[in-house]
Amino acid sequence: MSSSLIEPGAAVKRVFCTHCAQVMDVAVRAMSVFCPHCNKRLILEDYKINSYYAVREFSTCGDVVVEKKGHVVAPIKAGNLTVKGKVQGHVTARGHVEIKKTGWFKGDLVAPCLVVENGAVLDGFVRIGPTQVPS
Amino acid sequence: MTDSTNEFPTTLGADAVFKGQLQFEKGVKLLGKFEGEISSEGQLLVAEGATLTGDVKAGSVRVDGQIKGNLNAKTKVQLSASARLEGDVQTQRLEVAEGAVLVGRCVVGVNGQSKPTTDVRSVSRPAEMIPAAKARMPDPAPVMVKK
Repeated sequence: MSSSLIEPGAAVKRVFCTHCAQVMDVAVRAMSVFCPHCNKRLILEDYKINSYYAVREFSTCGDVVVEKKGHVVAPIKAGNLTVKGKVQGHVTARGHVEIKKTGWFKGDLVAPCLVVENGAVLDGFVRIGPTQVPS
Repeated sequence: MTDSTNEFPTTLGADAVFKGQLQFEKGVKLLGKFEGEISSEGQLLVAEGATLTGDVKAGSVRVDGQIKGNLNAKTKVQLSASARLEGDVQTQRLEVAEGAVLVGRCVVGVNGQSKPTTDVRSVSRPAEMIPAAKARMPDPAPVMVKK
């Protein structure tokens, strides 16, 4: 279904729907799609946060990097998450979550894999494991 | 082999079931089952297939097996791919390998304590302190003076 929208020969990547957790193939160049399973809009872009960013919900199928000067106050749904700055909120990630040595994380975390570097701060309830992310 | 013996002079064998309180100085390698409390400044290794139920306080902990209980490590906690930990973790450094399962509250950071947070609302200043906001403020009501 969804592959019919992708141009023949175009590079594709596999993403999880942040709403229904279904897997789909999308074109690498696509910035947003509608999930063929739940018909909700999905953002596919990667984000780099360099400043204070407080929103009601921060959701993307791409990767999120919170840089040293970044400070995110929001519930986050993302593919991979890298924290070099500050993050406050409930995080659900489909891929790796990395908290670098300058990172500061406060909130609940659900992810299949976690790396906390020496010097990083993590405070919250965590559910880490391949089967812990709700599907 | 000799390095492992030096690092972990005490080993609880795979067929051993230990219930109670355990204290040690250097290191313990747990291969069997343990139920109770561990308090030490040394290293603890919970090997693959080993089960530990109870609270642990140690210098550093490496988990390849299963732990049900709270973990308080002074320096670091390492969870390998086969590890399963259900309980709260308090440490300075945490390493979780891909495939490991960790369910519980984590406090990782300097001295196992989180840095004090700055409440965003407490940062906001009163309008009198901001020039632009002060300009928009209405003039105070005229005071009636009785003659």
